[in-house]
Amino acid sequence: MRLTGTLSGSLAEPATAVERPALAVFESLAAVLPDGLVRGRSVLCSGDAAVSLALAVVACASRSGSWLAVFGLGDLGLLAAHEQGIALERTVLVTPPASASASSAGTWFAALGAAVEGFELLLVEVSSRIPAGEARKLQQRVLARRAVLVLVDVDSRHARQPVFQPDVLLHTVTARWCGIGDGHGHVREREVMVEMSGRRVPATQHAARCVTLPAPR
Amino acid sequence: MPHGVSRCLRRADMSRVAATRVAALVFPDWPAVALQRELASRGERHDVVAVLRAQRVAACSALARVAGVRTGMRRREAQAACADLIVVADNPERDRLVFEPVVRAVSEMVPLVEVGDPGTVVLPTRGPSRYVGGDTALAERLRALVAATGDEPPLHYGVGIADGRLMAMVAAMSAVDKPGVVVSVGHSAELLARQAVAVLALHAGVSIEMISLLQRLGVYTLGDLVAIEEKLLAARFGSLGVEVHRLARGLDRHPPIVVAPPPNHATEQHFEHPVEDLHRVVACGREMAVELCAHLVAHAVSCVSLHISLQGDHGEHSERVWYESDGLGAEAIAERVRWQMEAWVRSRTLTSGVVVIRLVPVELRASSGRQLGLWDPFGEQAEMAVKAAQRLASLLGPEAVRVAEWRGGRDPAEAFARTSVALVDLAHRAATAVTPDRRFVGALPSPTPAYVHHQPVDVQVLDTDGRVIVVSGRHEMSGTPKYIVMGGNELDIMSWSGPWPVEERWWDPQRHRRAVRMQVIVGESPSMALVLTLEQGRWRATARYA
Repeated sequence: MRLTGTLSGSLAEPATAVERPALAVFESLAAVLPDGLVRGRSVLCSGDAAVSLALAVVACASRSGSWLAVFGLGDLGLLAAHEQGIALERTVLVTPPASASASSAGTWFAALGAAVEGFELLLVEVSSRIPAGEARKLQQRVLARRAVLVLVDVDSRHARQPVFQPDVLLHTVTARWCGIGDGHGHVREREVMVEMSGRRVPATQHAARCVTLPAPR
Repeated sequence: MPHGVSRCLRRADMSRVAATRVAALVFPDWPAVALQRELASRGERHDVVAVLRAQRVAACSALARVAGVRTGMRRREAQAACADLIVVADNPERDRLVFEPVVRAVSEMVPLVEVGDPGTVVLPTRGPSRYVGGDTALAERLRALVAATGDEPPLHYGVGIADGRLMAMVAAMSAVDKPGVVVSVGHSAELLARQAVAVLALHAGVSIEMISLLQRLGVYTLGDLVAIEEKLLAARFGSLGVEVHRLARGLDRHPPIVVAPPPNHATEQHFEHPVEDLHRVVACGREMAVELCAHLVAHAVSCVSLHISLQGDHGEHSERVWYESDGLGAEAIAERVRWQMEAWVRSRTLTSGVVVIRLVPVELRASSGRQLGLWDPFGEQAEMAVKAAQRLASLLGPEAVRVAEWRGGRDPAEAFARTSVALVDLAHRAATAVTPDRRFVGALPSPTPAYVHHQPVDVQVLDTDGRVIVVSGRHEMSGTPKYIVMGGNELDIMSWSGPWPVEERWWDPQRHRRAVRMQVIVGESPSMALVLTLEQGRWRATARYA
């Protein structure tokens, strides 16, 4: 019943001209997303901790009532998502069409467009198949529907032409693994250096910040 | 329920004491039979099988029952009772698909059969009985029709004809593998009164807790239940009390309503061009269902049974009545349209595109508090998300859109199953959190890797001298792991932990699994944390802390 409580809160506000507040992020991520997840914007996570960071970024909003659609990421660890705090009962997992033909890319984009209509949060795996024009259209749609697009670049070791123009780009490099030794212990958390860039990030903030993952709730 | 309506209903009861005369065709343990038939179609023959629902045996084959397997047992208890038992998870889709030929066979004689759960068929006898020459002849004919659908493995079923659904089902159940039982007109109530209250759980979906409570209150038979005044039951149990009292009297669970059905509204759709795409037909059916339900909700009624009629361009048509005692919601109606379409395509009688879809509510009842309107009141967001999910499923196919369901186990890749959205009620399930109900001993320590490879990558784990690390039966490693070779690259091991043994299903020689897991940090800037699993002599990277 937590859900109805939070919803009635958001429904009480007028749905028209007034901009709804940004979706919340965990306090531990305030260093990289000081304004939370601003509606209409897109965030790209890349680097070796891209998936973990993306899960941490959407978890707080998912917990507090937003619906999440995950596109791609077939190998996503759902248990890890749950541990990070994502509400799986409000999460839908979408598998992209298998073939790489132009028509399947079209269907894929039609699907993303349909999801923007109903889900506040979209977690989308970036693949090289996405044409730049379609990516721009999707971002415009996200902007119009006041949703939040979180992009995950799983395989960002080799540089590729950027398809999306994210508002915030978070590039991760793991600095330290904590809890594991030589033959004892186990991984408890990791310290990740996050470099921020993108069109909505002022150049003064481009220095790398340290973030702990999984993000403490 | 408003006052006026309930008064109307009571009057309706008085005027319509006699229940409709129906025939029931019952296949006990249908999920198990469906499983056997499916296996048989693949050339496998298994006599002792059981189907699990929520980790308990929901149905088992006759031979398994002889061996001591009972419904409600846990998996291990069942396997202890019968060592070579094949245990498979419940699959409503399979039950329905395998049941389809039976429904088709019966509907060749009676076009409008009522389909509820797979495993039971109910049909009104008035027309058919007159056609074949009496109830006994009808029972025989029904048995013959079913027998003609094949006997591999042999089907066990019973036919019962009586006044009202419940008595017909009880009669059918008592007539399994025997000639059909016909209860003569007017005798049903008397016979029903002698039945134990447990039949309510078996055939009418009343909860086990309710039955157990009745028994503890000293109500053992339906006769005892009828002897109690309805208003007393209503006072004690609310609408459920009224329902069981009605059922015990041999009536249908919900009183028929006397308020005139609301004028039909947008329940028929004609296409100028025949539609050949199944998804489009279903999407269209869904839109109609949403409108129909909105209309019904506005009139404070819900639809208990619905006649779906589909017509093809060459004049072929498919007619079916769908029944759901709790009322059919928009989503449920859309599902039924899909089932009927699939069955029709499968039967190969559809030779062209669809030109007409018609939804006609056959039986309506006043909405009780349980009918939660259109999509359940979980807010605007949920409603929009559910609609978007449906749109996604119609675009990409129902298998491409999934939700997580807790399954458990030690393997992070298997902890949550990905179930198709077509099989769940999204809005409803959003009310309860999807969480692990317990932590399995031997599961990976938290945090769990964010990336689990469904197709693991082969690696070599080597010690200082370049020898492959092996792990003894006592979980001792042959050396200190120094580096791994993965995809042709050598990566130094910075830290490691393990080995952690995993032992699963040790009681089952075929599905027994023994493995050893290890956590390693490899490489330096960038470093990578992996879970390596040694199984059957092969090391593989099964998960990554991405």
